Amino acid sequence: MSTDVILRVEHVSVEYVGPRPTRAVRDVSFELRRGEVLGIAGESGCGKSTLAFALAKMLRPPAGMTGGSVSFTPAGGTALDVVALYGEELRRFRWSEVSMVFQSAMNALNPVTTIGRQFSDIFAAHAPSMDAAARTRRARELLAKVGIDPVRARSFPHELSGGMRQRVVIAMALALEPELVIMDEPTTALDVVVQREILDEIERLREELGFAVIFITHDMSLLLEVSDRLAVMYAGQFVEYAPAEQVATAPAHPYTKGLLGSFPDMRGARRELHGIPGTPPDLRDDFAGCPFAPRCAYVFDPCATVPPGLRELPGRNGWLAACHLHDPAYGAPGFPSLEMTR
Amino acid sequence: MSVLEARDLVVEFRQRGGGTLRAVDHVSFGLEKGETLALVGESGSGKSTVVRTLARLERSSAGAVLLDGQSAGRHGRGLRAYRKRVQLIFQDPFASLNPMHTVRYHLARPLLRLHPGGGRSRLDASIADLLESVNLAPAAEIARKHPHELSGGQRQRVAIARALASSPDVLLADEPVSMLDVSIRLEILNLLDRLKRERNLALLYVTHDLATARHFSSQIMVMYRGEIVERGPADEVILRPSHPYTQLLASAAPDPGVPREQLAAARRAREAVRAAAASTAGTAAERRELLVGEGCRFLLRCPHAMDTCVTQPPDVLVGADHHALCWLYADGGKPGA
Repeated sequence: MSTDVILRVEHVSVEYVGPRPTRAVRDVSFELRRGEVLGIAGESGCGKSTLAFALAKMLRPPAGMTGGSVSFTPAGGTALDVVALYGEELRRFRWSEVSMVFQSAMNALNPVTTIGRQFSDIFAAHAPSMDAAARTRRARELLAKVGIDPVRARSFPHELSGGMRQRVVIAMALALEPELVIMDEPTTALDVVVQREILDEIERLREELGFAVIFITHDMSLLLEVSDRLAVMYAGQFVEYAPAEQVATAPAHPYTKGLLGSFPDMRGARRELHGIPGTPPDLRDDFAGCPFAPRCAYVFDPCATVPPGLRELPGRNGWLAACHLHDPAYGAPGFPSLEMTR
Repeated sequence: MSVLEARDLVVEFRQRGGGTLRAVDHVSFGLEKGETLALVGESGSGKSTVVRTLARLERSSAGAVLLDGQSAGRHGRGLRAYRKRVQLIFQDPFASLNPMHTVRYHLARPLLRLHPGGGRSRLDASIADLLESVNLAPAAEIARKHPHELSGGQRQRVAIARALASSPDVLLADEPVSMLDVSIRLEILNLLDRLKRERNLALLYVTHDLATARHFSSQIMVMYRGEIVERGPADEVILRPSHPYTQLLASAAPDPGVPREQLAAARRAREAVRAAAASTAGTAAERRELLVGEGCRFLLRCPHAMDTCVTQPPDVLVGADHHALCWLYADGGKPGA
C-alpha cells in the first residue's frame, strides 16, 4: 500500500428532497490511498449506501449532493473532480476507473440474456476497439479469474447459484481493471462458507491487481478482518475512523463499542450480550448535540447540547473519533472501562 | 420425555420431470421443555423444511412428528389442538404481519379463537399482557398501530407475542433475526431466551450463524443436504467440531481477533485445499452443485475424503453426547446409539 491518495473526499453532504429533507450524509471527509481497503460500518439507514453512490456520482433524484468535493487521481494521472464530471467524461470514469458491486448483486444480472452477452455489453460500451472474439476471450478470462468455469459464459443467471452469480458480478466489476471498487454488502445474502470463498477471492484479486476497495457492510466482525481502516457511520456522519486492527480491542466511540458488542464471539467465553438500545434517529431532524446521545450509555453534560467534532485521539496518529469522552476541553474522561476483553 | 419429537422424518418433493428431491432425510430429534436446540446449516440444507414439517405446513413422506408421545394431528380438531401448542416465528416480520390490520387485531384473533368469551376488557388485558411480555410499551398505544408504523424489531416482537397468544409449549423460530438490523438482533434473541425460561418453552432456533447458535442454545444440530451430520452440546460442537462440514463452517466464520499474518496464512491454506479439490472435481464454485448417491453427501467438498466415503457413513459417538456422521471416527469412536 502506497501513500499516494487515490480518492479525496471533503465535506460531502447528501440530501433526499422532501417537505423536510432527509440529510443522509452529513459533512463526511476522508482520504483513500492506492490499494487500501476502507471498511464502512453502520446500521441500516445510517447513510452508508448513499455515501457510496455519491462517491461514484451515481445519486439520482430525489437524492442530491448539497456540498463538498470528491477528487479522484488515477495512477500517473491528474486529479479529476468527480462532482463536475458529466456526459462522455462521466461515462469513461464509471466502470473503467471506479466500479461498483451492488447490494443483492445477484439480482443485478439481466435474467433474460447470457452471462457472456452481459460481458460483451460492457466491452461494447466501454472498449469499442475490441472485436467480438477479443470480447469473448476476455469474458472467459475474467470468469476463470473468479473461479468459475468459462463455459458458464453461455449460461443464464438463473442457472447459477447465488454465490456463483456474486462471483460473476465481481468479475464484471473488475472487467475494465478499475483502480477503485466500491462493494456495498457484497456477501450479505450468502452463506458463511460461500462468503468466505468470495472474500478470499477478492483478497487474492486485490493482491494481483492492486485496486483499492471501499467495503460497506453492517457485519463488524467481517469488516475488521478485511479492512485496513474502518469508518463507523452514524446518522450520516463518520463517528470513528480508525486502523481496523486496533479498533477491535479499543473502540473509541461508544457506538463502535456497541456495534462490536452486538456480535457474540464464536470462540470466546460466553458473556452477557446486549445490542444497542433504542433506534437510529430520524435523518430529517437536526441534532442539537451528539446524535447518538439518546442511546449512549456514557452520556454526560455536553452531549445534549454540543455536537462533537471528528478529532484525532491524543497520541493516536490517524485515529479519529467524534465523542466528547475524548475531548480535553471536558477533561477527556474516556470510557469508564475502555478496553473490551476478547 | 421430549415434548416434541421428530422421528425418522423424511420429506420429499416431486420435481418437474419425475424426479424426487429428498429435502429431509431420516432426521430424528427431540425438543425438551426449557431448552433451546439450534439447527444450523447453509441455505438449501433443509433447515426450513424441517421447521415447516414440524409446524404441519409441509407433509412428511415418512416418519412421525410426536407431541408428548402422541402422533400429531394432520387435520381438523387434531391439527388445531397441535397448532395451539406448537407455534412458529417466521424470518421476515415485514411479510408475516398483515399490513391492513392493527397489532391489536393480530393478537386478538388467536386469543378469541382459543379462549372465546370473556368480553372486551379481558381481551384488552390479555393483549396488554402479551405486549408487555415482549417489552412493547406502552401497550395501549402499540396495539392501535399498523405494522408499517413499527420498526423491524418491534414487528418481530409483535410476531413473537402472536405466537405466545395460544400459550404454546413449543416455539419454532426460523431465522428469527436474520432480517433485522445488527443492533437489535441480540435484543430479540435475549427476549426469546427470557421467554423460554419464564414459560418453560421448548425452543427450536434455526440459524446459519454459529456464534449466536452457541450462545443461545444448549444443543446444536448441524444439517447438510437433508441430513444431521453432527449433534451435541453447543460448546462441544462449535469449539471441537468433528464433522469436516462443521469444521468448514467454523473456520469460515469471520474471526476479528486473529492477527493479519495469521489471516493471510489461513487464506493461503484454504486456497490450496480448494485448488487441490478443484483439480479432482471441477471448479470450487461448482462442486457443491454435484450430487452423490448412497455415500457421504459432503464427499466432494471434503478434504479428508477416503475410499470408504462412497458408502453410507456411520453415526459415531465422538464425545460426551456428541455425535458425528462420518467415517473418520469409525475406528476411534464408539458406534453411536
